Amino acid sequence: MNTVAVRVRRTPLSEHTVTPPCQVACPLHMDIREYVDLAAQGRIMEAMQVIRSGNPFPSICAYICAHPCEEACRRGQVDKPVAIRALKRFALEFGGDRMIEVEAETTRSERVAVVGSGPAGLACAYYLRKLGYPVTVFEAHSEVGGMLRVGIPRYRLPREVLDVEITRLTKMGVEIRTGTRVVSLDLVFDLGYRAVFLTVGAHQSLRMGIEGEDGAGVVDGATLLRELNLGLTPALGERVAVVGGGNVAMDAARSAVRLGVPQVSVLYRRTRAEMPADPREVEQALEEGIEFQYLVAPVRVRTREGRPEVTCVRMELGEPDQSGRRRPVPIAGSEFTERYDTLVTAIGQAPQVPDDFHVRIGRGSTIQVDPVTLSTNRAGVFAGGDAVTGPSTVVEALAAGRTAAGRIDDYLNHRYPLAPSASEAEWMGDLLPETVATIRTTGRLEPPVLSREERTAGFAPVEMAYDCQTATNEARRCLRCGLGAAIVAPDRCASCLTCVRVCPYHVPYADAEGAIHIPFDQCQACGICVGECPAGVIALRKAGELGQVDEELDHVLGSATRVTSKPMIVGFCCQYGVYGTGTLAGLWRGVKAGVWIVPVRCVTKVETGHLLRAFEMGAEGVFVAGCGEQCARENTGHWMRQRVAKVKRVLAQLGLQPERLEAFMWGENTHDPTEVLDEFAARVGGFYLDSVLLQEVKR
Amino acid sequence: MIVAEQKPLEDIIRMVRPYKKVLLLGCGTCTTVCNAGGETEVAFLHDALRMAEARAADGRREYSEATLKRQCDPEFLEHLTERVEGVDAVVSLACGTGVQALAERFADLPVFPGVNTSFIGMAVEWGVWDERCAACGDCRLEDTGGICPITRCTKGILNGPCAGPKNGHCEVSPDMECAWLLIYRRLERLGQLERMRRYYPPRNFRPISRPRRIVGKAGLEARGSHGDVTA
Amino acid sequence: MATSLLEEKLLSGEFVVTTEIGPPKGADVSGVIHHIDVLKDMVDGINVTDHQSSVMRYPSLGACLLIKERGGEPVLQITCRDRNRLALQAEVLFAYSRGIQNILCLTGDSVDVGDHKDAKPVFDLDSVQLLRMIRTMESGVDMAGNQLAGAPKCCIGASVHPEADFMEAQLVKFDKKVEAGAQFFQTQGVFDLAAFRRFMQYASQFDVKILAGFIVLSSAGMARYMNSSVPGITVPQELVDELAAVEKGKGLAKGVEIAARFIRTIREEGLCHGVHIMAVGNESVVPELLAAAELVGVHR
Repeated sequence: MNTVAVRVRRTPLSEHTVTPPCQVACPLHMDIREYVDLAAQGRIMEAMQVIRSGNPFPSICAYICAHPCEEACRRGQVDKPVAIRALKRFALEFGGDRMIEVEAETTRSERVAVVGSGPAGLACAYYLRKLGYPVTVFEAHSEVGGMLRVGIPRYRLPREVLDVEITRLTKMGVEIRTGTRVVSLDLVFDLGYRAVFLTVGAHQSLRMGIEGEDGAGVVDGATLLRELNLGLTPALGERVAVVGGGNVAMDAARSAVRLGVPQVSVLYRRTRAEMPADPREVEQALEEGIEFQYLVAPVRVRTREGRPEVTCVRMELGEPDQSGRRRPVPIAGSEFTERYDTLVTAIGQAPQVPDDFHVRIGRGSTIQVDPVTLSTNRAGVFAGGDAVTGPSTVVEALAAGRTAAGRIDDYLNHRYPLAPSASEAEWMGDLLPETVATIRTTGRLEPPVLSREERTAGFAPVEMAYDCQTATNEARRCLRCGLGAAIVAPDRCASCLTCVRVCPYHVPYADAEGAIHIPFDQCQACGICVGECPAGVIALRKAGELGQVDEELDHVLGSATRVTSKPMIVGFCCQYGVYGTGTLAGLWRGVKAGVWIVPVRCVTKVETGHLLRAFEMGAEGVFVAGCGEQCARENTGHWMRQRVAKVKRVLAQLGLQPERLEAFMWGENTHDPTEVLDEFAARVGGFYLDSVLLQEVKR
Repeated sequence: MIVAEQKPLEDIIRMVRPYKKVLLLGCGTCTTVCNAGGETEVAFLHDALRMAEARAADGRREYSEATLKRQCDPEFLEHLTERVEGVDAVVSLACGTGVQALAERFADLPVFPGVNTSFIGMAVEWGVWDERCAACGDCRLEDTGGICPITRCTKGILNGPCAGPKNGHCEVSPDMECAWLLIYRRLERLGQLERMRRYYPPRNFRPISRPRRIVGKAGLEARGSHGDVTA
Repeated sequence: MATSLLEEKLLSGEFVVTTEIGPPKGADVSGVIHHIDVLKDMVDGINVTDHQSSVMRYPSLGACLLIKERGGEPVLQITCRDRNRLALQAEVLFAYSRGIQNILCLTGDSVDVGDHKDAKPVFDLDSVQLLRMIRTMESGVDMAGNQLAGAPKCCIGASVHPEADFMEAQLVKFDKKVEAGAQFFQTQGVFDLAAFRRFMQYASQFDVKILAGFIVLSSAGMARYMNSSVPGITVPQELVDELAAVEKGKGLAKGVEIAARFIRTIREEGLCHGVHIMAVGNESVVPELLAAAELVGVHR
């Protein structure tokens, strides 16, 4: 038995990696590409680990993140973006995230105070705790979570999910003191805290500034949601109007529906296109029967029989304002009046910071901070979250909390706070129309949601998690931005044009001087050119990809040769599909003695050298099993077959039966895949017996 | 470019049988482009040879691998001086020129050809290479609309066509178009049929008597392609 | 004074009949001698093929000598496939010296279609160059311009394919052969008289003699074989069917009938100057064909 450890791939790595747009857009810069790929392979636990490594409270984001990653997702240039948030939830739920415990121990003596237990505050506490600091979170309310608790309704973020995270945090050793309002930062310092993170959020609703705003039956959205989330059931009557177009307005309107209000309207002064709310929220609100009135704004409220009578004026869009959206301009003489039982104002919130804090306040009542250090004008006092940015997203707050923890650590160690170096990430361009034309459009698979009746009956969570098959199919839509092929040794490239000719997406090209370029913006990382390059100078960019098949093969063959059950069959199985280790191969390994699976991420990673090596190491039969029609990339089956044909010719020249090597592609057999593999194993068994007998005869 | 095809494995095995340490040497230019002898093919051949040895019982060889940018230039061959120490035979996957250059430079080292150098040609699509040029040294493509009758006509005649074509294809194979019919159509398209109507006298085979030489530099007696001494 | 009896007959304006024999694959020439004896007085010239279809045989020149010995009029077929210009010129000198002066100049079938597929194809010259070579020699010099001690004098001919599927290119070639000095043409097998008439409309402008070639088919199988494997020959489906319709053993008779039919028509319409009969292995049937075509007694 030849035990020479020979690498099939002799080319060096490409160290140059490119950060994908999803990761750049995510405020936490999570390795989205990696966990989506793991989900596509059914490796849920590992996907969950990747998610956990980038986000302190991944389950919360899994439910309610505003997903800037999806807006940046380049799959959207083909059909629709990958449903990243829903995939994250799938990975966490199936991966058992709620069971994970995070450990931390106190290694520092400096105590840090966090004022406010919203997402920014909790994130800061989490990261400071992991750095070894004793942390205390002060929360004015009786319940922990800030906007997560009092702002976002239960049908979007179930309370259990939030509680699991908070429990985890306290088990880490973070002290949370509820019902404790901080009125003076001097007091906090007097109590012995060395640094403070101010993250009081933005809970103060903005006023519309119209007559009658304080009348009976007029309530602001933030207050309404707070009451609801703290367990009260406000009586809203039969007709409710919500003024505003953001998520708070949607939350308020949809909560009203769930409280049984039969007629709920949303009044917005611009059109649907300009609404800042998540389009999904708007869509679901419409499904739930909420009426939307666009280009409408209240100008006056009168109280009639204890209920608000609202006069609105119609608007038209004029020139853009500072937000870049066209300014609504009232149309003279278009006033009309409606009676409601409750008018809810949800046109924005602002922070409320006590003067006694002595921190500089700026525009929109937000706390002013140094953008690099997050420090306020007071030494040792840092701020972040909605209190600094105004109402923003949960993930932004988490990122701010993480940054603040690092900056507080800098401060306490007297480190010079360096500005983060200009991002070395190469920015990815858009897909060219020619490339888009080559990509199969499949359409986005949305996670299942409750029916309208089920939804509006109460506050049960609207969205459910994917099942495994749907999650895998959705995850495979990812274009693997930045993972593409690169010519790692241009001096050895012979400009043979093989990569140009074999690429199904027409990505590589020859320039006027004859040099070959593979633009990373366009490459789909299918791997075909990597295996076909006659000079062996192309590699995919991710360091982990290189040598992976070699290592797996060595490992498998190392174990296999120690086991005596014969004949040994080696199968290269694509992880993404039905032959993946998550499903079929698992069955196989147990059932059929002597079958050893080498998992590969797509059959294009299997090169002729790998196939031959398996035979050299004693395999009596070798097969390659791939996704065929279901492969997320084009032509992979064709090239795999070319390579198999070539190795078959060499086997014949070596005196081995070419039938010992086969390719199985899903989608073509009408049989059960196990049946086809059974037949193959039987055939190989036959060859093996013949050769054993021949040996006997020779002796 | 030069197109070659790897020899059958059994031929290579037979060639190296008497030796113990064999270097498999690839070429980074022509044989890489036609997928016969580049770095990847060298590696694959190595694997196949190792496997063949394991199956046979005639002793083990130790193989090493290397690939040069080209084997037909002495400067590139210099990089091999260390590599060949201790090696007792080389299988070169370069074209015949490379094999010979290698043999000349390393006169004490047996050098074996790993490919059959076939022709000067081009890829008409991935994986399919066709002969295009016979290196006759007397190019007459000006008169044939850019289609070579020496390579593409199986008889290589200059006053074509013969009476053999059927359905526009050569008598030799239904897959091979009659070059002279192609030439006729091309000249017709270019408005140059007169060229085909001319009588072409028998070829001058003097340029092909072997071995040929072209001298680019001044100072030496320059020979033109017809063997005449030119000024 | 005509160069040869054939040339005399060609110039006379009478209907010319030639035929061909294929030499044996071996040194035993008894069969070919027998055919020569049968045919020599029935036709104006007997061609001997030169490794027809690239199958190695007794040389054409050798069989021509036999014809001469037995009192017939030989037509030497020379192809360019096997010999270079030195050997070709030498051949002409020798043939002339032995009174063999009718030469049919051919390029030759490819080595690939024959039975020695590994042989080196020479093709130093093509048919047009070969015609000119002979004319050059007749002027007293060889191809390199050297004086000849004794110049040959020949009656030279070439072949043409009147039913080729790309006639324009064939006609370019035909023109070149006429210009090169070909005096007569023996065509490839004619099967379609309409096509032949069209060809003759073009060819009759030249001062050359056209002998329409006819192949005696012996079965539908033979016709199909010729279609698939013999260069330049295409038998139309109607004839294949006509052959297929007869009972076993009567195929050759049918082939003769067909050929006779064609020949009579050609002669009646005066379409061309004569015919060239190719019996392709069935030389024994030529007398019968001549009779059926009413060509007996027309000749010497």
